[in-house]
Amino acid sequence: MVTASMLASPALSQQVAESDFESVGRAWPLEHDLNEYDLVGATMRVPGSFRRDPNAFTGSARAGETPPGIEPLERDLFTSDDFYKDRELWSDPRYFRCNSPGAIEDMWGGNTNALIGDDPPASAPWGHCDRDYPRESIVSPYPFETAQEHYEALLAETRERGGPTEHTYATVPGEWTGRYMHPGRTPGNQYWFRTRHLQVPTLLSILTEEYQTRFVQEAYHQGNTNAAQWPSAYCWPEGFMRRWHAAAVWEHHIMVTPALVQILAGVARNFITNIHIGREFNMEGRVPRLGADVPRWYGETIGFWDEDTLITWTSNIQGWKTHAAFDHSNFMQTIEIYTPNRDADGNFLGLNHETVFYDPEALVEPVRIIRNYLKTSGFEEGDPYVFIECIQTIFPIDGRATPVSPGQVIEYEVPDMYGRPWAQIWEEYFEQDMDRPEEDDIFSFE
Amino acid sequence: MKAHNTIRGLFAASGVAVAAVVLIAVPVQAHHSFAMYNVQATRIFTGVVTRIDPAPNHLAIFFAPMNDERTNVVRDEDGEPIVWSVEMAGSAQMARQGVSVNSFPPGTVFSVGLHPLRNGEPGGTRDGGLYRCPDRTPPEPGMHCNSVDGNVAIGDDPLATPTD
Repeated sequence: MVTASMLASPALSQQVAESDFESVGRAWPLEHDLNEYDLVGATMRVPGSFRRDPNAFTGSARAGETPPGIEPLERDLFTSDDFYKDRELWSDPRYFRCNSPGAIEDMWGGNTNALIGDDPPASAPWGHCDRDYPRESIVSPYPFETAQEHYEALLAETRERGGPTEHTYATVPGEWTGRYMHPGRTPGNQYWFRTRHLQVPTLLSILTEEYQTRFVQEAYHQGNTNAAQWPSAYCWPEGFMRRWHAAAVWEHHIMVTPALVQILAGVARNFITNIHIGREFNMEGRVPRLGADVPRWYGETIGFWDEDTLITWTSNIQGWKTHAAFDHSNFMQTIEIYTPNRDADGNFLGLNHETVFYDPEALVEPVRIIRNYLKTSGFEEGDPYVFIECIQTIFPIDGRATPVSPGQVIEYEVPDMYGRPWAQIWEEYFEQDMDRPEEDDIFSFE
Repeated sequence: MKAHNTIRGLFAASGVAVAAVVLIAVPVQAHHSFAMYNVQATRIFTGVVTRIDPAPNHLAIFFAPMNDERTNVVRDEDGEPIVWSVEMAGSAQMARQGVSVNSFPPGTVFSVGLHPLRNGEPGGTRDGGLYRCPDRTPPEPGMHCNSVDGNVAIGDDPLATPTD
């Protein structure tokens, strides 16, 4: 089991993996450790913890107040009746009252402890306008424009080093197999995708124009109209990017074999990452894939070993969303590197997980997340993985997620699941009078 | 709601209770009964794809049937496109035949035969061949995609013969 000394190990801070050589595409330095940054937004969260406390206000001004030295905008997310018209204001943190994306979804009590005040939404509190996580530690430091380039460069490098390593059952790093601590509760393991340490404009700066709009649409309906649409609330798919969200994946179960490495985790949905060792993608089609030309919710993954480091490429991912973060498209691909963390005596502590995300439709440039998995036990002890079957009890009623009891009769409109169903709800119930961008007319041939 | 000549507004506003209907024509190991379909009846449609749902049950194409002039789609009394669904085989099997999210994006014009639902709702299960028209090139009035130069045939079967 995990010990206090392991928890205190400096190897568990948000640092890149240790490497004895300078790689072309992994373990490049991360200049800013997010664990050293303060929360940006107004929440009731205990910093560095999952806990909430009604006395732990983290903002700069409570509901109905304005922080000293800050001039509010005449129109912001909490007073606007049409966020589409406010695009020129989106780059100003004051439009969001200097709240982080994560804090905005806390406003009405999305994670309990509402802060919105007595005159919602106009009375929303303020975060800290002088706090932010640097963009340069969000974007990828590597020179590659595509996941394919990145993977091929790492593979070529590994070949120059005498690899890839072809493990047998006798040599495969079996110490990886076992149970790992909930990443969100692992000490020193905070990273930017939880979106509580950065200003909204910083997040918007990594998104393309269309995906900026999508993000602000969600922020508006989390902070202004109080109509949050979290996919897992309806037992909809979680979506690929939720693998990196603290609330979507708890303990990780990893099993290593020579041909396949499996990572299993989940809360409302099962996240099963099967890494096919030594396989190659079919490169014919819109995106690389292993199986049929069908986008898969969690993609398809190939990989190879460089000694005890595992390098993977995931593609053929179904586009979806992560609430309080951003939508990703069917073009999302990742390069992920799993490297053992060891203590000074060489004992295995867990894994460093470095991921570079490539999505030319959603992202203006690739981004990177670094986190750690802390091994807590093998499979010979502890609770087994619980396969999750999500049974829907919450339904959208009049545009708001509403618990429904057995026997209750409701009017239900079948969602267009591949057309941003959450946005369809917002548009029907809350954006009737907004000036939305027109879409192409696909029905006319005149 | 926005104008409903777009895809996203279509489902939300028209109240199309298409309830993931429809199945495949050959449910040897189906995930659900096909008894909801009237296999004694066959209808032929040429329509515009609004969405493909590669659901685990069976792939379904949602589409708006074109008018006889092939200039636009059939609309209801409110001017909204009427959306049908046609259920096929599993998504992987259909992808191997050339029907996928990527090869049939919204706006694709195609022709298909189907056995309609017994209850009269706008859905059915595929019958016979399926033909995709060239990009943004509908057939001549009253014709189907199998008559258009450059069409793509899905499978070896001809377009089904309608029963009425």
